[in-house]
Amino acid sequence: MSAGALSQSVLNGLALSGIYILIALGLTLVMSIMGIVQVAHGEIYMIGAYAVYYMIAVLGGGFFLAIVVATLFVGGLGVLLERLCFRPFRGQPDRAFTVSIALILILQNVVLAIAGGNPLTYPSPFTGVLRILGVAISWKRLIIVLVGLGLLVCLFLFIKLTRTGQAMLAISQEREGAALQGMNIDRISAVAMFLGCGLAAVAGGFIGSLFSISPTMGSFALMKGIAVIILGGLGSIPGAVVGGAILGLVDGVLPALTTTHIAGLVGFATIIVILIFRPQGIWGHD
Amino acid sequence: MGRILAAVAIACLLLLPLLLAGPYHLHVLILTMMYVVLASSLRLINLSGQMSLAHGGMMTVGAYTSTLLVMKAGFPFWVAMPLAGFSAALIAYVVGYPFVRLKGIYFSIVTIFFSEVVVLTAQQWQGLTGGNTGIFGIPRPSPVVIPRILRMDFSSKTDFYYLALVLMLVSLIILYAVERSRIGLILRGVQQADSLAESIGIDTTGFKVLAFTVGSFFAGLIGGFYCHYISAISPDAFSFLFTIYILVYVTVGGEKKFVGPILGAAVLTILPEVARPLKAFMPFLFAAVLIAVIFFVPEGMAGLPDLARRLMPRSEKRPARA
Amino acid sequence: MLEIEGLSKFFGGLEAVSEVDLVLNEGEKLGLIGPNGAGKTTFFNLVSGVITPTRGRIIFEGRNITGRSPHDIARKGIVRTFQGINIFPDFTVLENIVLSCHLKPGIGLVETVFRTAGSRRKEKAILSRSEEILDLVQLDGLAHVAAKNLAHGHKRILGIAIALAAEPKLLLLDEPLGGMNAHEVSETMALVDKLWQRGITILLIEHNMRATMNLCQRIVVLNFGRKIAEGTPEEIKRDQGVIRAYLGAGGHAA
Repeated sequence: MSAGALSQSVLNGLALSGIYILIALGLTLVMSIMGIVQVAHGEIYMIGAYAVYYMIAVLGGGFFLAIVVATLFVGGLGVLLERLCFRPFRGQPDRAFTVSIALILILQNVVLAIAGGNPLTYPSPFTGVLRILGVAISWKRLIIVLVGLGLLVCLFLFIKLTRTGQAMLAISQEREGAALQGMNIDRISAVAMFLGCGLAAVAGGFIGSLFSISPTMGSFALMKGIAVIILGGLGSIPGAVVGGAILGLVDGVLPALTTTHIAGLVGFATIIVILIFRPQGIWGHD
Repeated sequence: MGRILAAVAIACLLLLPLLLAGPYHLHVLILTMMYVVLASSLRLINLSGQMSLAHGGMMTVGAYTSTLLVMKAGFPFWVAMPLAGFSAALIAYVVGYPFVRLKGIYFSIVTIFFSEVVVLTAQQWQGLTGGNTGIFGIPRPSPVVIPRILRMDFSSKTDFYYLALVLMLVSLIILYAVERSRIGLILRGVQQADSLAESIGIDTTGFKVLAFTVGSFFAGLIGGFYCHYISAISPDAFSFLFTIYILVYVTVGGEKKFVGPILGAAVLTILPEVARPLKAFMPFLFAAVLIAVIFFVPEGMAGLPDLARRLMPRSEKRPARA
Repeated sequence: MLEIEGLSKFFGGLEAVSEVDLVLNEGEKLGLIGPNGAGKTTFFNLVSGVITPTRGRIIFEGRNITGRSPHDIARKGIVRTFQGINIFPDFTVLENIVLSCHLKPGIGLVETVFRTAGSRRKEKAILSRSEEILDLVQLDGLAHVAAKNLAHGHKRILGIAIALAAEPKLLLLDEPLGGMNAHEVSETMALVDKLWQRGITILLIEHNMRATMNLCQRIVVLNFGRKIAEGTPEEIKRDQGVIRAYLGAGGHAA
C-alpha cells in the first residue's frame, strides 16, 4: 500500500481516536464520579451534533462558534440533568440507571419529533488538504486531531491544577474513601456532568462534520465509549485516553490494511479475549 | 387466592384463540408471552444483585443457534430450540465467572458490551451467519401430530400461540420453582449482604453465575422460538434498545415480586395496542411511566397493593383510644 | 488448631499487619486488642479469607488455608462476624438463621428446586435447628420481625446467631459489643461463654477491655500491625508496652 494511502488511514484512525477519546472520557467522568451507568451519554452526544447543526444550518454561524455554543449548551443541559434526575438517586445506582434509560427514550424522541428522522449533514469549513512530503492530509481530520489534543491538555491541566479536578481524580479512583473526606459532592458532580456532556457534544459536533447525523446516532457513541472504557480500564481516566487511541487507530487503519472482514474479526476477537480474561480492562480496578 | 387467579388466567389464555378475531391479536399475545418470559428471567438475574443487560445478546445467541442447527445441520426444531437455550446458558456460564467479579455498574457495562460483541460477531462471521443481512426463510417448527387428537403444522398463528403459551407456562413454573427454593433464598441473601453470605460459607460468585446462567437460558430459548416464528433473524434484531425495554417491563412491573415482570410485560405490551392512536407517543409515555415509577412507586405495579395499604387512613386500622 | 506464621499485609506503602505470629489452641478463648487502627480487623480479614496476605501462612487444623476464598474457609470451620453489615436486613430474624443453616444438612440444587421429599425433610430439620438457635440467643420472640427493624443490640446478637448457624469450629467475633449498654454487654458475653462451653473456640476483637479481660484466658495485643504483647489478662494489664501504646493513642487501659 502506498505511503499516501497509509498515512490517510492513520489520519483517519487518529481522527477517530480523538472522537472516541472525547466520548470515553466524558463517559468515564460521569460514570466514575457519579457512580451510575449513564447510558444516555450517546443521546447527549447526539444532541451536541444537532445543536451544532442548528447553529450552522439554521442560524448560519461559523463552525467553531457552533461547537463552542453547542458545548456550553449541552454542558448546561448536563448540569440540569444532574440536579433534577440523578442527584435524587445518588447512592442508588439501579434507580439512577432506570432514569438514564428514561432519558434515552425522551431525548431520542424529542429530537426525532423536532428534527425528523432523516439524516442531516453540515459542512466542515476545513476543506482541502495539506501536503507534507508529497502526502495529502485532509484538513478536516487534522483539525479534529488537533482540537482533541488541545482539549485533552486542557482537561489534564484542569485535573492537575484545580482542587475540583484533583477531587474528581480521587473520586474516580476510589469513590467511598473520597466521599468520606468531606468533598462537596454536589459541586463536583455538577462539574463532572458539565465536562462529561461538553466533551460528548464536541465529539458529536465533529462527527457531524465527517458523516451525517440522525436521532439514533447515539448508540454508536455509547458502544464505542464502552468499548474504550473496557479496553482501557473501568473507571480509569488515563485508560480512556489510551483505550480511545488504540481503538481509533484500529478502526481507522485495520480496514485499509486487510479486508473489512478480517479487520472486524481481529478487532472483536481482541475484545472478546479481554472481556473474558480481564474484563476490568488494562488500567481498571475492580 | 393466587392459585385461583392463576388457574383462571390460564383457562382464559387457553381459550383465547377461539374468541379472538384476527391473527394480529394473536401476534400481540405471542409477543406478550415472549416478553413475560424475558422479563421474568431477567428478574432472576437481578435477584442476585447483578443488573444484567446481556439478555438481548443471549437471545441473539439462541436464535442463531437454533437457526443454524435446523438449517445447516438438519436438526429437528424440537431439539434445536432447547439447544438454543443451552447454548445461551453455556456462554453465560463461560463469561459469567469473570463478569460477576466486577462490582455494580461495571458488571452492567460489560453486559452491555457483551450484547454488542454478539451483534458484531453475527455481522462479521459471514460464513456462518450471513452477515448483516441475516438469515431468511427459517423453516417453521416441524409438525406435532397425535393421531386423531391433534395436528399442529404451524401454518397458522394459532399453533404458534399455543406453543408460546406452553413455553411461557413451563418457563414460569421453572422460574417460580427456583425462586421458591433455597436457591431463591440464597440469591436474595447474596443481594442483601454478599460479604456476610461468603462468611457463612455461601459461594456467592457461584450463585451469581447460576442466576446469570439460568436467566440467560430462557433468553436463548425465546430467541430460538422467535426466529422460527417470524422466519428470519438479523444481527441487530435484539439490540441494546430491545434489552432496555425488557428492563423497563421489569422495573415498571416491580422487581420485588415474582408477578411484577409478568404484569409489566403484559400491560406495557398490550396497552400500546389497545390505545392505538397513542402509538406515536409510546416512547414518551414509557419514559413518563418509568419516571413516575422511580419517583413515586419504586416497587412497581406489583407493589401497588402494599402502597395502597400503607396510605390507607389509619383510623380504619387502629382501635379507638380509651 | 490455628497457626499463623509471619502474617503480613501491605496496602501500597502502608503496612497494616506486620509479621504476626499466633498460635491458637482448640477450646481457647483468645482476645485480640489494640488501639484503633492497630490492624485487628485487617487481621480478621486475612484469616477469614476476605483479603490475601502479602506474606505469611495461615494453617488451620493442619491444613494451609492461606489465600483461600472466604466461603471455602467458612466451610472448613472458621466463621466470622462483621462490625458493619452483619445481618440480612430484608429477611425476618428467622429467615436470617434459616439461610445460614445451609451447611448441615446440605441441600442440593436440584432437590431444592424440585422440592423432593428429601429436601423437605432437610428444610424441616433446618427450621427446628433455627428455632433452637434463636431460643439459645433469646431472640425467639422476635422471629418474624424484619432484621432491619431490630434494635441495635439485637442486631449484633443476630449477627452472632448467624455465625453460629454456620457450624463454626472457630468463631471470630469482630467487636460484637459495639454500641451496647452494660446490660447488653453482660448478656452477650454470657452468650459467648455459652458458645465456648459448647466446644467452639473463640477469637475476639473488642475495645471493651473489662469484658475482654473477664472472658478471655489469653490476650494478644497489636499496635501498628505488630504483635507487641501476649499473655494472660493479668500480665497484659501490667505490661508497660501495652500501657504506653494505649496512652499514646489516647485510649484507656482497663
